[in-house]
Amino acid sequence: MAPKIIEVPKTDAGAYNPNRPAGTLLRSQALHMREALIKHVHELTTLLNIDMKSLVTEADVSAYVHKATALLHTHGGKPAKK
Amino acid sequence: MSVGLDNLKHIVVLMMENRSFDHMLGALMQKNRKINGLTGNESNPDTNGAIVKVQPNAQFQSQLDPDPDHHFPGVDLQIFGGAPQGAGRVANMQGFVKDYFSQTKDVNRSHNIMYYFTPDKLPVLTTLATEFAVFNGWFSSIPGPTICNRAFAHYGTSFGQVGMDIFYILDNTIASIYERMIQAGHTAKIYYYDQPSSTMEIVNLLKNQPQIFATFDQFITDCSGNTLPDYSFIEPCYNDHPGADGGQVLASDQHPDHNVREGERFIGSVYNAIRTNPTLWQNTALLVVYDEHGGIYDHVVPPACTPDGYTASADATGTGAPFAFDRLGIRVPAVLVSPWIPRGTVVTGPEDAANGQIFEHASIPGTVTNLFLNGDAKRTVREQQAKSFLGPLTDQMRPDDDCVVFNNLQ
Repeated sequence: MAPKIIEVPKTDAGAYNPNRPAGTLLRSQALHMREALIKHVHELTTLLNIDMKSLVTEADVSAYVHKATALLHTHGGKPAKK
Repeated sequence: MSVGLDNLKHIVVLMMENRSFDHMLGALMQKNRKINGLTGNESNPDTNGAIVKVQPNAQFQSQLDPDPDHHFPGVDLQIFGGAPQGAGRVANMQGFVKDYFSQTKDVNRSHNIMYYFTPDKLPVLTTLATEFAVFNGWFSSIPGPTICNRAFAHYGTSFGQVGMDIFYILDNTIASIYERMIQAGHTAKIYYYDQPSSTMEIVNLLKNQPQIFATFDQFITDCSGNTLPDYSFIEPCYNDHPGADGGQVLASDQHPDHNVREGERFIGSVYNAIRTNPTLWQNTALLVVYDEHGGIYDHVVPPACTPDGYTASADATGTGAPFAFDRLGIRVPAVLVSPWIPRGTVVTGPEDAANGQIFEHASIPGTVTNLFLNGDAKRTVREQQAKSFLGPLTDQMRPDDDCVVFNNLQ
């Protein structure tokens, strides 16, 4: 015997409205993203302000590369897959 | 432990937006008296003193615009009917219409907050609720808005937050459920719908934990390819926006004033992705739950709860009184799906003084931590005491032809 099939109606034509004013939730989301970006910029600025001449040892370089890689990694176009 | 629980390898949580239990599922009481829904006689006074009864007139869109108030002071009014702060006031769920009037400035329109859906309008959610398990006593974690409530689903606390501000991890020893799982060698992922919709409350993790995020397309691929993580949290689409191919992508979160039917279709697509993989189907539990009630009427008084050690100041609550996180928010729909759950299971809530159970969003990380990590993680007291939601799984798996499939979702 086949499982019971439930038909799901299509969403009403005309439901799409990207010009709907953004509510509190979406505006909060944008603010939170901005906050995260600011934190991101701070870390980026800190890294850019490091004098390259100060990277003397392998440990110095690896610490720098570690931080730079972590930051650049988040600039990928798509979220990481499993 | 049941065979169903022994067999469980994946938990999937889909958290929708801003609808109360009675609004979405209250009418099901007419089909099953064990479901603590609506008799039809529940009411609220309006600002003219007229009695406004609940009515089965909810529509998919355009009825709850402006967005009903669900910030802390508004929810306080909804619960206590406008009684002044102080010891001895009684929660009566009589302030919903009054509060919505403060936004609509239109007495007739303020009555819309009492409207509920008939089951025929919500074939996906009501079918899952009646075919599997529905919780009579699942409450939002805080009588407030989205961000703080969703924080409880990820951390088991909002770190003292009762509003929409970004929350800060005030206690670095409390890790998110995703970090806990990954650190213990398990897999966990947040699937947000797409990049224009992104994630809602967990931006704290976006930068530091990019490996835990993926899009909904990847969820579909992971389901069909047997690569689903141990724990998955799905976020619906939060806004209407153009698709990558130039088409139209509709919000599917059901947040007013987004189309409720599009959310139905999204819930159905999550269910079908699991249901149509026979291996995944028998070892996965899907929880569909809403973050908070969105200002919409529910008749059940939120119960007291274990505080989690924070106090929100009177300034933060906006009510003139501090809040010790000792009362839950308003009740929301919650449905658990698995072939190991008998049809028509109702998990009783506060209406059942002897056996009823109370759930809230801290139950989510609590259940996942208990199942996969044997409870081995630093957690808030609130989360430690939250009930596991996997109780409805039994020893008996239903045959494949006994479990529904949704059609017409493409």
